[in-house]
Amino acid sequence: MKHESVETNAGLLIILTLAVISVGGLVEIVPLFYIDDTIEEVDGVRPYTPLEQRGRDIFVREGCYTCHSQMVRPFRDEMLRYGHYSLAAESQYDHPFQWGSKRTGPDLARVGGKYSNEWQVQHLIDPQSLVPESIMPGYPWLAETPLDYSDIDRRMVALKRVGVPYSLTEEEYEANVERFGEEHARMFDIRDAEDNLVRQAQAGNFDGNPGTVTEMDAMVAYLQVLGTMVDFSEYDDGHFAEFR
Amino acid sequence: MMGLWEWITDMGNSKMVALLLFMGTFIGVVIFLFANRQRARKFETYRYIPLDDDDSHREPVARRDKTKSDEQ
Amino acid sequence: MSQAATTAGAAPAASVATSEQYNYAIIKRFAIAAVLWGVFGMAAGVWIASQLAFPFLNFDIAQITFGRFRPVHTTAVIFGFGGNALFATSYYVVQRTCQTRLWSDSMASFTFYGWNLALILGVITYMMGITQGREYAEFNWQIDIIILVVWVAYFMVFLMTLLRRNQPHIYVANWFFMAFILATALLHVFNNIQVPVGLFHPHSYSIFSGVQDAMTQWWYGHNAVGFFLTAAFLGMMYYFVPKQAGRPIYSYKLSIIHFWALVFLYMWVGAHHLHWTALPDWVSTLAATFSILLLLPSWGGMINGIMTLSGAWDKLRTDPIMLFLITALAFYGMSTFEGPMMSLKSVNALSHYTDWTVGHVHSGALGWVAMITFGSLYHLMPRLWNVNLYSLKLVYVHFFLATIGIVLYITAMWVAGIGQGLMLRAFDQYGNLAYTFTESVVFLHKPYVVRAIGGGFFLAGMLIMAFNIAMTVRSGIKAEAREAQAASTEARTA
Repeated sequence: MKHESVETNAGLLIILTLAVISVGGLVEIVPLFYIDDTIEEVDGVRPYTPLEQRGRDIFVREGCYTCHSQMVRPFRDEMLRYGHYSLAAESQYDHPFQWGSKRTGPDLARVGGKYSNEWQVQHLIDPQSLVPESIMPGYPWLAETPLDYSDIDRRMVALKRVGVPYSLTEEEYEANVERFGEEHARMFDIRDAEDNLVRQAQAGNFDGNPGTVTEMDAMVAYLQVLGTMVDFSEYDDGHFAEFR
Repeated sequence: MMGLWEWITDMGNSKMVALLLFMGTFIGVVIFLFANRQRARKFETYRYIPLDDDDSHREPVARRDKTKSDEQ
Repeated sequence: MSQAATTAGAAPAASVATSEQYNYAIIKRFAIAAVLWGVFGMAAGVWIASQLAFPFLNFDIAQITFGRFRPVHTTAVIFGFGGNALFATSYYVVQRTCQTRLWSDSMASFTFYGWNLALILGVITYMMGITQGREYAEFNWQIDIIILVVWVAYFMVFLMTLLRRNQPHIYVANWFFMAFILATALLHVFNNIQVPVGLFHPHSYSIFSGVQDAMTQWWYGHNAVGFFLTAAFLGMMYYFVPKQAGRPIYSYKLSIIHFWALVFLYMWVGAHHLHWTALPDWVSTLAATFSILLLLPSWGGMINGIMTLSGAWDKLRTDPIMLFLITALAFYGMSTFEGPMMSLKSVNALSHYTDWTVGHVHSGALGWVAMITFGSLYHLMPRLWNVNLYSLKLVYVHFFLATIGIVLYITAMWVAGIGQGLMLRAFDQYGNLAYTFTESVVFLHKPYVVRAIGGGFFLAGMLIMAFNIAMTVRSGIKAEAREAQAASTEARTA
């Protein structure tokens, strides 16, 4: 084939260009879907409950990922500051992923349980009241806005379609009981989504206001579960290194 | 197919494949461009395409108005 | 406007022929839109930069907090300013180098309205909090579909124009534009595979999760840089640099090597955004290797552009437009050196997640993308309206404001990024962390103020350009009106 035919033939130019630009993407992305050790097998990682998932939606909505990463890297300083480095398995139910690209604020991959609910609420409403040097914006509207959970079942169905094991049938529910335990499996049942959401919000009382389910409830519930699913004391130090 | 993926995802293999692929293509393009002197000369004539289109009427002399930049 | 010119009997004959031969009306619209989006997007950038320096500027108003407004800035400058400028220049270059009129005026006009509608919807929805949460691809799924349709129309217009060319060879600038159109389509489709919550629901969930989602997103993210912000602007470079210099490009053979090497290598490097994450190691090593290789074609292209001036360097002293174009190439060389360096895993361990990355992006975006666009628009505008530029002096002023702005911006971000990176990994004599995260935030305040000032300089230059171009266009419209009048009086007396 002559280059002349490329340079004078627009169709050929298009096909060749497409071929050349496809190689890189194919070689790097496609194997990730096939290789078993891309994602480690690890106990404890579970889908989000309806309330946590709505909190996650709000995390995405407010663009938190523009300043906070959710990916602890395997360095000593990050281990001391944030905890065990993040595993691929820990974000396997994250649609979309929120690893982030910039830490204007600290990493949040393991923020769950580090601060009390009261601290989180106060910090989200007015960060400077707790950390005077902070440059984080306040999010007072979260505490004032009732959470819209009218579409929670439809959201969960959409997530189920992309691979999150929420259950719609008795069979799927039973499978979840086996996999995640009964307590969690009940939370993942789309048929009871609304009840589950309200019940978790009232029981957890995340925003200190048991009367209404606010966006703050969802947000704090999400923040408090981040990075807490895997119990790292159960594994040897070197266990996860072989997956990297 | 799976065997091929497993083979290529081994860093030792894919590094070599990538290197060969890249070097091969690159050398191919270079040889193609420079080996034949006549072809090389022909390519260089294409440099003039942007300058070929007649826009002499658009040079400042023929502009319809006089603005500040003329006085500079 | 073209009608006015064609009915104007007194207008120079060549002008009549040109407006029939080429579709300039569409280019005028895109070029003006680019300037407007540039002003808006850069103002938004200065605004969010100020929020980082002075957080009270968030005012507790949801719609303008940093998190929601940052996508407004990135979308307005990349797709608004850059995108409209690319539509304008690609439509101009393809017509001029193929010596044929653009295929289908109505399709071309559809791309203009569709593209800008999508962008305006994007800005509004981001502020309402509707987003996919994917950097540089935050448009929600309905807007994604509008963009896809517009893009197919763009591809058709470009391809059909190529097919009816009167010049046997397809000039290399058009290759770059074509690669940009194809790659952007590919990236847009694969990075936006979503399952909507409902047909009329604005929200959707990505079909991928975790590692796969991250890899897809950064494959998109980096190639948006590679093909949208690099290949396409190289297309601009390969036309406007020779044209403004009045000399052919330094080496056509080099431009062919440049093209194939660049389009081949770029697609491999996205994963260098994910070094040290839960992504498998082999992917990031592969990406780092290709990132280093990418230095070669990048510098080849830069040399090709700069050497075009070989033997005519005095043009830099007399022509401020040339100054923009060549400085852009110099910044292109600088950031394509910095990029591969930052993709080394050891450097990346320090630089990633810090402002160094932000500085690197802006040395490319302000120094290369914006500067080459300014130069091209200054070249383009007078020719579209067939008048002289309102003021060359203001072009000089713009150039110096822009350069000062970039230098302030980049140095502030180097200080901020490297400083924060070093602070966060520092240990005291007992092996404890030497600084808290908050202490690094305090350190960042001064660089953030300098960065906002640098951005202010750059914005001031952009405003001067907008003024200069508005005055140029005004005189063009006036001249057209004069000619139309002269024509009608002539007709009456005759």
